[in-house]
Amino acid sequence: MTHQEFDRHSPAGPNRRTVLKGAVSAAALGSTAGLGALTGPALAQDGLRAQISQIPGIGKGAPTDADWQKVGELCLGPTKANVQAGEFKGVELSFMGLNNQNLHNLLFRGFLKPWEAYTGAKISWIDLAQADYNPRLQQAIATGTVDFDVLEMGAPFEGDVCGKGLASEMPDWVKKQIDIEDYVDYLKPPVGTWNGKTYRVTIDGDCHNFNYRTDYFSDAGLAKAWKDAGNPGEWGVPKTWQQVQAVTKFLKGQKFKGQNAYGYLDAPKPWGGFGFYFLGSRATAYAKHPDDKAWLFDVDTMKPRINNPAWVRAIQDVIDALPSEPADQLNADPNTTGFQQFLAGIGAMIPWWGDIGQVAKASDTSVVGDVVGFDILPGSDDVYNAKTGKWDKLASGPNHAPNCAYLGWGIYVMARVNGDEKKHKAAWSAAAHIGGKDLSLWTVMYPSGFQVHRASHFKIDEWVAAGYDRKYITSYLNSQLGSYNHPNRAVEPRIPGIFQYYSIAEDELAKIFAGKSNAQTGADNIAAAWEKLTDQIGRDKQIALYKASLGV
Amino acid sequence: MSTLTSASATVRKRRGSRRAKHIVGRMLIYGALLFWAFVCLFPIYWTVSTSFKSAVDVTQGHLIPWLDFQPDWKGWRSIGLSPDSILRTSNPRDEFMSRFENSVITSVGASLLALVLGSLAAYGLSRFRYKFAWMRNDDILFFFMSQLILPPVVLALPFLVLYKALALLDTRFGLILLYTLTVLPIVIWIMRDQFNSIPIELDEAAFVDGLSVWGAFLRIILPLAVPGMAAAFILSLVLCWNEYFFAALLTSTDAKTLPVMVASQTGSQGINWWSMAALSTAAIAPLVLVGIFLERYIVSGLTTGAGK
Amino acid sequence: MQISAAVADGGHHKPAPRPNLARRKVAGRALVAIASLGGLFVLLVQILHTTGTIRAGFTDWRPILYAYLLWSIALGVGQVMIRGERGLRALFLLPAVLFTIAVVIFPTLFGFYIASLDWNLSSLEGPHFNGLDNLIALFNDTYYWNALGNMLFYTLAVLAEYAIAFGLALLLNTDIRARKFFRVVFLLPLMLSPVAVSWMIGKSLMEYRFGPAATLARSLGWDNPAFFAHPWIARGSIDAMDAWVSIPFIMIILLAGLQALPKEVLEAAKVDGANGWQSFWHVTFPIMLPVSITVLIIRIIFKLKLADIVINVTAGGPGGATDTVSSFIYRVYRDRSNVGYGTGLAIFYLLLIIVFLSVLLRLTSRRMQKVA
Repeated sequence: MTHQEFDRHSPAGPNRRTVLKGAVSAAALGSTAGLGALTGPALAQDGLRAQISQIPGIGKGAPTDADWQKVGELCLGPTKANVQAGEFKGVELSFMGLNNQNLHNLLFRGFLKPWEAYTGAKISWIDLAQADYNPRLQQAIATGTVDFDVLEMGAPFEGDVCGKGLASEMPDWVKKQIDIEDYVDYLKPPVGTWNGKTYRVTIDGDCHNFNYRTDYFSDAGLAKAWKDAGNPGEWGVPKTWQQVQAVTKFLKGQKFKGQNAYGYLDAPKPWGGFGFYFLGSRATAYAKHPDDKAWLFDVDTMKPRINNPAWVRAIQDVIDALPSEPADQLNADPNTTGFQQFLAGIGAMIPWWGDIGQVAKASDTSVVGDVVGFDILPGSDDVYNAKTGKWDKLASGPNHAPNCAYLGWGIYVMARVNGDEKKHKAAWSAAAHIGGKDLSLWTVMYPSGFQVHRASHFKIDEWVAAGYDRKYITSYLNSQLGSYNHPNRAVEPRIPGIFQYYSIAEDELAKIFAGKSNAQTGADNIAAAWEKLTDQIGRDKQIALYKASLGV
Repeated sequence: MSTLTSASATVRKRRGSRRAKHIVGRMLIYGALLFWAFVCLFPIYWTVSTSFKSAVDVTQGHLIPWLDFQPDWKGWRSIGLSPDSILRTSNPRDEFMSRFENSVITSVGASLLALVLGSLAAYGLSRFRYKFAWMRNDDILFFFMSQLILPPVVLALPFLVLYKALALLDTRFGLILLYTLTVLPIVIWIMRDQFNSIPIELDEAAFVDGLSVWGAFLRIILPLAVPGMAAAFILSLVLCWNEYFFAALLTSTDAKTLPVMVASQTGSQGINWWSMAALSTAAIAPLVLVGIFLERYIVSGLTTGAGK
Repeated sequence: MQISAAVADGGHHKPAPRPNLARRKVAGRALVAIASLGGLFVLLVQILHTTGTIRAGFTDWRPILYAYLLWSIALGVGQVMIRGERGLRALFLLPAVLFTIAVVIFPTLFGFYIASLDWNLSSLEGPHFNGLDNLIALFNDTYYWNALGNMLFYTLAVLAEYAIAFGLALLLNTDIRARKFFRVVFLLPLMLSPVAVSWMIGKSLMEYRFGPAATLARSLGWDNPAFFAHPWIARGSIDAMDAWVSIPFIMIILLAGLQALPKEVLEAAKVDGANGWQSFWHVTFPIMLPVSITVLIIRIIFKLKLADIVINVTAGGPGGATDTVSSFIYRVYRDRSNVGYGTGLAIFYLLLIIVFLSVLLRLTSRRMQKVA
């Protein structure tokens, strides 16, 4: 297992999806039948899962092309049940996706090679660098130059693609083949659907969790220094942002294992819109009230909340913490904090997607494998109530609100194959193969760029059998599951152009963090720019889609 | 330059001998040369050596192979070009090879086309007076140059639409046309100055000998302009070779070039230092060969220049 | 820009009119006319076909390209037939002009059109015309003006690059050992792609913790070598990377110019007793002025497009200190899909540059005439 990538965050502008209850229940019906059919060969399937999770084995180095093909070959069963050998002879498909550090599309090539050999179809590949993905997709749509049949896409783009009728609706046999009911709750509809039709084969899940250094927080020396400095409470892993701030300020100037100690690492440098998620992770505990589904905009007016006291407090937290962080922190984006700082042993706490946990243990990039622990994001003692304009203290204790950011990648088939029945079936068969239930177990265990996203991924024994340390993987999977299922989770508002909002905010935040304006003024600027953007994209539609995405 | 050199320079000057002065001069020259060679080479060395490092060796800043890190083929393996992977199937290598081929064809094609069109135009602009409606030589030159100024963003969507209509999307030919457009102004400018520095008397002598305009150009002037052409060709080649914006926009499967693959080595999980280094190294290798080969023609200007 | 050196119009005109001249002229005109009509016909057919008026036609517009090529050839031949010697001369310029017009005319006009639209690719309604609103918005855009301010610094830095490059070109032009080695080595930085430069140098070599450049800086006494955290240092670091890549560009052109210098001139200066500095300042430099100005202007144009390194290394930070106009436009255009406004920004920038360069050219041409 290695550092290669698992990337999930594409630069993308999310979109809308609406939910039709009817479709959900239809899907549910379809897949119960599927489950029933699968109970028979269940034993053989367990054998298969154990077998592929040993290719090549955790700790046996990065999987190679040969491994990808082997996994693809072994997981061909469901395809063979639906497609005859050579059935797609003469079909040529074009597949567009990312080449993210030689994974994603290159990985799919390996998985699909045996599929091509079996079905007789041929696939040509369009690989994009991450930074080009959003513009390329948007411009292809705008100029009518869509030249691909199958598309790897992040959930936030669904509005642009599915909403404009460019995607092909998922046939029922595909739902059955991939066992769509196995997806974890927060990835079930409305995610993946549009006007009640299902479009997405989910291959990935995304949520920010909290990664910390267990050695820092069990260190006797630091514990003593913490007491000596007159801090209240025991030295330990912070559970609230108030504690994160205190620990970060305390660690400034301390030494740990001979190095300068640092606490929380912020990512002030813009990162194509993705950096905003990291402010979001600091803000959700303040801004997401359990009684209110909205946390970024007012539901009825799309009035931004970015300049309300909750968000401004989060921004101010960053400003306050920065002097206690490394000297070059101003030029650090999330990539830096995650992969060049935290995994290289600098800093004690960061929020990130699940990648960090997967990479920490197995990659040569990491020097902290054995000393990383995981939790859901910290909470806050008080939470802002946007309706009353007051800070509430909840009876239940600190308010937690995990930041379900980006929602991961999926495979979509484009509507342009609809006219050709053979091609249509071939494209969906390819998508279903990559999104297969067993194959997905392999992708979430090994470097692929994809993370746990099915209920069946949380069987700890399977991970341990593959070579993971039980304590470690339990902590990791619990932090993921705890976020996915949290009743007060803050799910990304999947409205068109959401990354445009983020990108604008990043620019302004960079100015704030560089000391060019204060938190409130900067937040007001962001709010003004967002209002303008909402008007440009169309306020009424945005309101409707925002409501739909929140389920209100 | 280091204080050391200048200090010793002062000491030597005091001796005052002409020879010493000469030696100091040579030392200064070689000192400067070596210093700049270091400035040029070190980042390249860093890149090449990084392709043999694992991540830890990069993040700890190890410099010298065998001494402070154990080189391995990691970077090259990731693109299927290490000794142990070269014979096995490798998707990244197939990807690399097809992109490499396209890069060679498009950049050489565009540079040659630009060199032909540009040299002709430059000679014309240097020797004759043109009038196109209200435009005179200066205006024509400015017209060409304005193509260079045009920010690529202005052309992005229009080119998508145009190339779709002309069925040029994802073709090497389409890329060659576009790249020719982008480097043509540079070629024209460089070549015009080159021709300007060649005395007009040579043309006139050729006419006296009975050569036509084109005869004089092809037989007499062009050979003298070889240094400029070599310089213009190298520059065009490098610019086309590294062009990213339009390559990412206008190609998909058949005409895709290398830079997008280099950029793909970064993503949401940091960066694959080793494979980006290996790709960058492999990508500059052909350019270095061109540099070594064509550099001679730039030098050849010395002899032709002396002859006139 | 002055029409330097030789303008030989009329110098060797062959006056002798031949008897068949008139007939040739007529034939030439006929050729051009037929080619033009043919081209227009093909174009008309295709337009009618596309609009659905007629069935006949081509599946795409590629044949129009071929028709244009044929027409261009006919035009060239026609020019020679009609205008004889002058036609032959026009033939030098014609291919480049026809090529440029063909490739660029439609996209540029289309670009101006886009600049007048309110067009966000995420908007479901699609584009709509909004006249000069983009231009007005631009004047209130603090990011844009901040970036323009930064461009001043970046542009001025070209002079320093030029000075270094000239020095290097002179060094390479002296009589040295291993000349070939040094020339090739000095050329190398040019060949690295901007993406590779950003990552291998900006994010690795100049990295705060492990980068060799930071290590060197520490050993030289700079305790806190954060190359991208302070506005001026960040700007300087970005420019240093860009300079590293582009100094060879300037150097190679100056070197080609030095190689073409007539040796006699320098020798004459030497005979006159000029020392190294004098002969450089009074002989080499003035002769090199046209080449210098060319290369400076090309270099400035490239500098004005500086984007990749900034996007990758600092994303314009800290707080906009390293932002360039191009990197800002990329954010608007690509990250925010705001293509109407983004194109508007780019076109305004284009106009600014054209004005700036026109002034610059006028100034330099006066200066060069003085020298001449």
